[in-house]
Amino acid sequence: MATLQEPAAPASDRSYWGNVWHAVKSTAVGMGITFRYLWTKPFTTQYPDERLPVDGRYRGIHYLEQDLCIYCQACAKACPVDCIDMGAQRHGKELEWEFFSIDYQKCMFCELCVYPCPKDCIHMGEQYSLVTEDKSDFLLELTSWQGLTEEQKLRIAEAEAAKAAKKAAAAKAKAAKEAAEAAAEPAEPEEGKE
Amino acid sequence: MSAALPPAAAAPQGNGLTELLGGLLPDGLPFWALALTGAVVSFAIIFAFIAVLAMFATWLERKVAGHIQVRYGPMRTGAWHGWAQALADGVKLLIKEDLVLTSADKPLFKLAPMVVLSTALAAFVALPFGPNAIVADLDLGIYFIIAISSITTFGVIMAGWGSNNKWSLYGAMREAAQVASYEIPLGLSLMMPVMYFGSLSLNHAGAMQSGWYGMHWYVFSDAFWIAIPSFALFFTAALAETKRAPFDLPESESELVAGFHTEYSGIRFAFFFMEEYAAMYLMSAVGTALWFGAWNFPGLSLLEGTVLHAPLAVAAFVTKSLLLVFVMMWVRWTVPRIRIDQVMALGYKYLTPLCLLMILLAASWEWVKAIAFGA
Ligand code: SF4
Ligand code: SF4
Repeated sequence: MATLQEPAAPASDRSYWGNVWHAVKSTAVGMGITFRYLWTKPFTTQYPDERLPVDGRYRGIHYLEQDLCIYCQACAKACPVDCIDMGAQRHGKELEWEFFSIDYQKCMFCELCVYPCPKDCIHMGEQYSLVTEDKSDFLLELTSWQGLTEEQKLRIAEAEAAKAAKKAAAAKAKAAKEAAEAAAEPAEPEEGKE
Repeated sequence: MSAALPPAAAAPQGNGLTELLGGLLPDGLPFWALALTGAVVSFAIIFAFIAVLAMFATWLERKVAGHIQVRYGPMRTGAWHGWAQALADGVKLLIKEDLVLTSADKPLFKLAPMVVLSTALAAFVALPFGPNAIVADLDLGIYFIIAISSITTFGVIMAGWGSNNKWSLYGAMREAAQVASYEIPLGLSLMMPVMYFGSLSLNHAGAMQSGWYGMHWYVFSDAFWIAIPSFALFFTAALAETKRAPFDLPESESELVAGFHTEYSGIRFAFFFMEEYAAMYLMSAVGTALWFGAWNFPGLSLLEGTVLHAPLAVAAFVTKSLLLVFVMMWVRWTVPRIRIDQVMALGYKYLTPLCLLMILLAASWEWVKAIAFGA
């Protein structure tokens, strides 16, 4: 069994005055170094006011180019934790957005929602601090949609008008057909139902 | 003054303050009332000074620590560089719960912070802030300061023992060992200036250094070659005496949690904290008074007799002392903590013999001067 032994004192080949000189000198040199550092500009930043830029690959809070988004739900389906939710009205080719939200209580910044997007319009952003006193603040609206533009409204109106016109035309045609059939008389009375 | 009693100046406890108060207060007041008023007023002044000083010093310490480590230190509390951080900390400490362990030795536990802080306060009595700005101009001022500041150790040992915690007790034992061994070099290193000035009164030492238009400091005197090494010895011993790094073994955070004040919280912890900064200032002030010309600076003698003289003298003294406090912080953030055996070796094998050697040299120099110049 090993016995406890006093550790051997570190061998020093310095003399008594050598030790004194060494202590004084090393303290002086050290203090010179710290004095130099005292006046250098601090390396740190004042975090919440000042932020260091993040790397391009960084996965922060998403940012959405909503004008490109086609409401295909591919991202929402890809999300493993189901935290993307969206709602919109389709007016023919135009979309009237209601909301596009991500619940950051659940989101784990896995980037899986980014890959399936057919329009490449959802990205991982650079924002990273979500500090809040209210849990509901984590449900972030990513909607950047500004409402329908005049142009879109016009197009929707046109499309609607065209649709209405088509409908009217169809009704008219139908009426005309019925009239024609009525005129053609009772030879085939059952056909009027079609 | 009452007719039955001698005037305050002639009374044994009389000092500048009682004389001043004697002029302000109505005549016929018994001396004890005068002395009591003087004591209360000087206590209030010293306590306010220490409180402000401790706040400033904690802020400065954190700033120095920060900038030496190339970061900012406190920045957010208060508008300018976090100046209000110390105030916020003080308020926090005041409103924290005052915990006393059920297993603690309650009387000792409660008494310890008071002993520690009151000894630090008491030592300020003998500090000369200016030519006459001294609470009690003791003939044995230096002796008094050394004696009273080593009583702090009792408070620390009481805290360590009373806490009923092994870390606290380790810290207290280290403190006892350390202070007992560094009392010797500290006292001895003060003998060099004492021999030079021929007096143990700090006020006298300050007055002796007013020559050469305020630059006849001990470090610039004919004995400078004794003064400089003796100051280094004094400063090292003072660092150990005030438990400052690299001699902060009594509270070494990495091994003993917080040493003797591990179990303290709230205002009792604040007392230990204040004592640390008060002791640092005290040692720096003694160093200033004996080596760096006390309140003297070039040009002060020109202002003799004007209203500016006393405030500027006090300002000079406080500034110089705070510079030495800064050096203590600078040392703390430079030199790593040394082991307890190294502490002991430094105290007994190096500081004490070197102090004795310096005393021999200083005494010989005084003797040579006496023979050569017939001083
Ligand atoms: S990053 Fe991952 S968890 Fe977050 S929304 Fe996208 S798919 Fe869902
Ligand atoms: S996958 Fe892209 S286009 Fe489809 S809904 Fe999500 S963001 Fe919009």
